[in-house]
Amino acid sequence: MSDTNTIVHDVIVVGAGLAGTWAAKIAAEQGVRDVAVLSKIHPLRSHSGAAQGGIAAALGNVRPVPDSGPRGPLEQLPDGATPVDNWELHMFDTIKGSDWLGDQDAIEIMVKEAIDIVYEYEHMGCVFSRTRDGRIAQRRFGGHSAPRANFAADWTGHVLLHTIHEQALRHGVKFYSEWYCMDLIVEDNICRGVVAMEIQTGKIYTMRARAVMFGTGGYGRAYKITSNAYANTGDGVAIAYQAGVPLMDMEFVQFHPTGLYKHGILMSEACRGEGGYLLNANNERFMERYAPDKMELAPRDLVSRSEQTEIDQGRGVEADGQGIYLDLRHLGREKILKRLPQVRELAIDFVGVDPIDALVPIQPTAHYSMGGIPTDADGQVIYDAEGTPVTGFFAAGECACVSVHGANRLGTNSLLEASVFGRRAGYAIARFLESGASLQSVSGDPAEKQRQRVQRLMAGNGKSSESVEKISQELKTTMTNQAGIFRDGERLIQASGTIHRLRERFANARVMDRSSCFNTDVLSALETEHLLSFSELIVAGALERKESRGAHFRTDYPKRDDENWLKHTLAYQTPDGPRLAYKAVNIDWEKYPPQERKY
Amino acid sequence: MTNNGKMQSVTLRVLRYNPEVDQKQHFQEFQVEYTADTTILDALHQIKAEQDGSLTFRRSCRHAICGSCAMNVNGKNILVCKTPLRTQLDRKNRVTIRPLPFLPVIKDLVVDRSAFWEEYQRVRPWLIAPPEAPEKEFRMTPEEVEALHNAETCIMCGACYSSCQVVALNKKYIGPHALLKAFMRVMDPRDTEPGERLDEVSGSDGVFRCHTIFNCIDACPKGLNPTEAIETLRKLVQKRQAFVAARQERQKTLLPVESSTAPAAAD
Ligand SMILES: Cc1cc2nc3c(=O)[nH]c(=O)nc-3n(C[C@H](O)[C@H](O)[C@H](O)COP(=O)(O)OP(=O)(O)OC[C@H]3O[C@@H](n4cnc5c(N)ncnc54)[C@H](O)[C@@H]3O)c2cc1C
Ligand code: FES
Repeated sequence: MSDTNTIVHDVIVVGAGLAGTWAAKIAAEQGVRDVAVLSKIHPLRSHSGAAQGGIAAALGNVRPVPDSGPRGPLEQLPDGATPVDNWELHMFDTIKGSDWLGDQDAIEIMVKEAIDIVYEYEHMGCVFSRTRDGRIAQRRFGGHSAPRANFAADWTGHVLLHTIHEQALRHGVKFYSEWYCMDLIVEDNICRGVVAMEIQTGKIYTMRARAVMFGTGGYGRAYKITSNAYANTGDGVAIAYQAGVPLMDMEFVQFHPTGLYKHGILMSEACRGEGGYLLNANNERFMERYAPDKMELAPRDLVSRSEQTEIDQGRGVEADGQGIYLDLRHLGREKILKRLPQVRELAIDFVGVDPIDALVPIQPTAHYSMGGIPTDADGQVIYDAEGTPVTGFFAAGECACVSVHGANRLGTNSLLEASVFGRRAGYAIARFLESGASLQSVSGDPAEKQRQRVQRLMAGNGKSSESVEKISQELKTTMTNQAGIFRDGERLIQASGTIHRLRERFANARVMDRSSCFNTDVLSALETEHLLSFSELIVAGALERKESRGAHFRTDYPKRDDENWLKHTLAYQTPDGPRLAYKAVNIDWEKYPPQERKY
Repeated sequence: MTNNGKMQSVTLRVLRYNPEVDQKQHFQEFQVEYTADTTILDALHQIKAEQDGSLTFRRSCRHAICGSCAMNVNGKNILVCKTPLRTQLDRKNRVTIRPLPFLPVIKDLVVDRSAFWEEYQRVRPWLIAPPEAPEKEFRMTPEEVEALHNAETCIMCGACYSSCQVVALNKKYIGPHALLKAFMRVMDPRDTEPGERLDEVSGSDGVFRCHTIFNCIDACPKGLNPTEAIETLRKLVQKRQAFVAARQERQKTLLPVESSTAPAAAD
């Protein structure tokens, strides 16, 4: 079957960030001839490019200057000296960071392959910052016990993304730039393709493939204050869920401690990695009270909660008391210009403050989605706790949940995750096709359903014509206030009710733009529908999980509860709303049994 | 001063075009409220949400790193996401926004960058590294890395391309963005084809077409200097042989002897 409304490829990857592009490049390199990548924005605009601080790997290129203390200066590893870092340490830090909810088999794969993939980036042309002797430079990052953030100044994601995109072009990958995926076609637990809109014309196509991979990124846009790009609306997770795939650990959303005040735009953790302080209204380095050992370099969940506590107890800064200060002044002009040039400009552009000589107002900002589409370590999407595959469907990167980050991700581990598991998915897809996977039939006309969805948005339903934007704003406020850094049963129940009402209102909402060409009004409406869809799961998972672990903090259940809650949440779509099930965590009980998490 | 909450009002004049209804482009005026914090992108969003959902523009990161939102504001190409509205008011308290000039318009502020991307691909933007990869990294000095910064941070927004007089007159010209990329690859000590690359950019559509009018430098929102890169390429074209020979010499030391025998960092 092939007509003007149907497009066929061997492999269709949705998402052109690091995860999707790695998978496409590897599949092409492995001999799959016809690999196509769809991206709703130009591939080089993908959010991976916004990552600043670094990508983790225990290369052991630098070490702390001996006897200089845990926050002292770093030096290149002298010839012949023993490295201070190795993958086992990286593994332990990641497990501890995850509050023991990360799957340890997947974490082991990631930290081991980290070393090799950073070198592969370097061989492909990535321009990393260097040590004096020409090796890749490394800096400290929160929750990591050794300096292992490999970086290119503070535009690491940008250089990684450009590098992998260039190599994918070199290998003949076909990019569909500005195509919007609307639906995933799954029948009998076998994935058969997707439905997508060519944004420039508004035409909607059925796109069939022998394998489909999602690298659609995170869902931080469900919150009002967020570091995430406009594109990070969690389309992939919502689309998979609608197609019957469960979502895992959605309640775990990371808040980053240093978003620019009011804007949420990220001031990289590298600010603290390079030695920056956090100060409250009394000019105190308040982290002394919360993490006396790691101080500002404690993991993000802990630092964000500490900031919020300071704010809630009246020690915040700025007019409304909702801010905290980031102090970089003592780092000196030269270091700031060399190591943090981008964040300096952001502070100047957005809050009018030059960190070289002034305090930067910041506040916690929604940043990273730990949850997502459940996969095994080869990107194969799985359907249940037993690991039943959704045949032909792969996922990696922020939209996926392998799970290496568990309840809280460490900085620099997600560029790593997207790269390592994107690459592994690429190999797995090539093997899957090699093993004879064929194009599967598609029943009916799935594109027609999506055309009707768009028409409905344009026509409204005659009853009312509520603005989509208002619904979207109300959702974001609700998520920030009631399912944010601190949660409790009462507020979560309220949030659940609000989302339910917003979904009802959405059914009557209507867009203003009726044209076919480049209709971003329709796209925002579809994105809002996706936000509403998965936000319900964040709240449902959070309400059910009666404990505090990593980024999920319940003031009514402030302790971690391993006896009852050392397990992953799986959320399934049913006609009566989400059904929750649970899945065991992969733990090496001999080597890495759960411990108290202290910093 | 970080949060001057005072509301003020301004007129945004936006050059609009919807191919499904308009014969040609036309200006439309919108009143928007703003504070000291409001960026031009915020103002466009405000219009889209409250006044006219059909207003069309590209954006994603909203902090000057993805390259989506380059537009022409009061005659200058800028990134609207990082530009506070208050800095762009003209004497009549207006801000005039047009799509990037010299490029075909798809709708409102969205332009067709196909030619721009074709030129990018034409210079083979990928590194062509030595065939034998070392076990660890190729060694590069901090100075060699620094020399690439001028090109490495390019976000491909098209502000330079669409302000370039040569591009405007000659659609075949490679353009400042792609020449900057070519510069980056030529200068990279790991690249094995600097000679071929120099040949590719020295044709009639390449570096010698540049009239050094410097529009690209003025336009670049990241403060990069494509003209300087183009000048460097010109000089290297003249010294091609010596440069290629020096590169071959340099590549012998990309890998220090001890590191190829030392054990891997971990394992
Ligand atoms: C400001 C910021 C800084 C960060 N810094 C770091 C850091 O220093 N270190 C680190 O490790 N991590 C960092 N992170 C996290 C990290 O950048 C991301 O987790 C990672 O880049 C995600 O990569 P990805 O490939 O999964 O998705 P993305 O890069 O987000 O790509 C998603 C892709 O999917 C496409 N897409 C989405 N929906 C659709 C659809 N419906 N149809 C078609 N295409 C679609 C998009 O167009 C895009 O191409 C940072 C994150 C932020 C927000
Ligand atoms: S929105 Fe990304 S550069 Fe402006």
